[in-house]
Amino acid sequence: MLVLVSGVCVKAQYSGYTAVTDLPKFKASFAAAAQKTNSIKADFVQDKNLSMLSEKITSKGNFWFKKDSRVRMEYNQPFKYLMILNKDKAYVKDGSKESKVSTRSNKMFQQINKIMIDCMQGTTLDNTDFKTRVFENKTSALVELTPVARGMKEMFKSINVTVDKKDFSVTSIQMLELSGDNTIMRFTNKELNAAIPDTLFDIK
Amino acid sequence: MRLFRILYLILSSCLLLLFGCSPSYKQMQSASADVSVLQKFKPAFTVALYNTTVDVVGNHLSGLLLIKKMPDSSTRMVFSNEMGFSFFDFEFKPGGDFKVYSITKKLNKKSVIKTLQHDFELILMNNLDNSKAVVKTHEGLTYFIFSQTKGFNYYITNPSGDELVRMERASNKKTIVEAVMKNYLNGMPDTIGISHKTFEFNIGLKRIER
Repeated sequence: MLVLVSGVCVKAQYSGYTAVTDLPKFKASFAAAAQKTNSIKADFVQDKNLSMLSEKITSKGNFWFKKDSRVRMEYNQPFKYLMILNKDKAYVKDGSKESKVSTRSNKMFQQINKIMIDCMQGTTLDNTDFKTRVFENKTSALVELTPVARGMKEMFKSINVTVDKKDFSVTSIQMLELSGDNTIMRFTNKELNAAIPDTLFDIK
Repeated sequence: MRLFRILYLILSSCLLLLFGCSPSYKQMQSASADVSVLQKFKPAFTVALYNTTVDVVGNHLSGLLLIKKMPDSSTRMVFSNEMGFSFFDFEFKPGGDFKVYSITKKLNKKSVIKTLQHDFELILMNNLDNSKAVVKTHEGLTYFIFSQTKGFNYYITNPSGDELVRMERASNKKTIVEAVMKNYLNGMPDTIGISHKTFEFNIGLKRIER
């Protein structure tokens, strides 16, 4: 089920959500479900909302995750862009240009790597770079991550991750920027524990 | 973010080289031509999204540049990476005013902002005061020259004025930036290239159909 996150904070609360009272129980359930998930295959639709310009940039693509710490994101529309994260290495292909970077030396990729991997491996709540609050409704949970680490604080106001309570898989990741703009990535057609060849994550 | 540090250091040193040089473009001959021929090359942006690549001394960066004409006739440019994180949001007013709405900390240096502002002003062609233009010819091309606060903007056409061959930003002495706009569709160029001549700093824009 696709969950849309409004991103509008009303009295430090989210419309349709209430604060999770038993956080240790939620954390345990999240971690247990993540333990059972070895791979995720999904499609995604990404909307960047430019609030002051009343514009939305929509892009679409495919997503693969495989334990441990491997992510492949392939944007297909309206542009081609491939990003592979494999442990501490990242590979990017934009157009015909290929580049390899170490996520240790490139802060931007380091943060992307950490956010994506934490979300998929269920370790989001343990990330000390963020102050975390968790909300829930009948079908989903919303994990609000407010950066406390210096680098992230300069980039994002918060990152909101929604998970499906049925299997604790991520349904959306929303990044709220300091400027008021935000980007939401919604995952659809999810397949948990699908057979995904290791070669998809090869960085040559 | 090493890329941004390098960009800052280079741009800082280039600004020192840019001004106070002796007159050049000496080979040009004075000429007369209708300056209004340039108006058809002025990009009529409504809203356009460009696939963008930036190469700075061996470092490569890519993303999306959204250009939008606002109801108050200003032009906004927002550059973000493919995953949506914004690097900058600039506003260019028709009268020449410029405003930074947001810019990532790593790019927030006076020299970087000035360079990007001047590069984009060259292609927006907002401040072409025909009465102040100087026209010259050189090697079969017509040069329409517009004096700037510092340096000059050159718009270079073929003799008949129906092709914009290139644009240049220059000091008194030498070319600082060359730019091209090609394949106009509905008044908006499909391809834009900006290339700095004093160090490796190239911006490539290719329009995306949404």
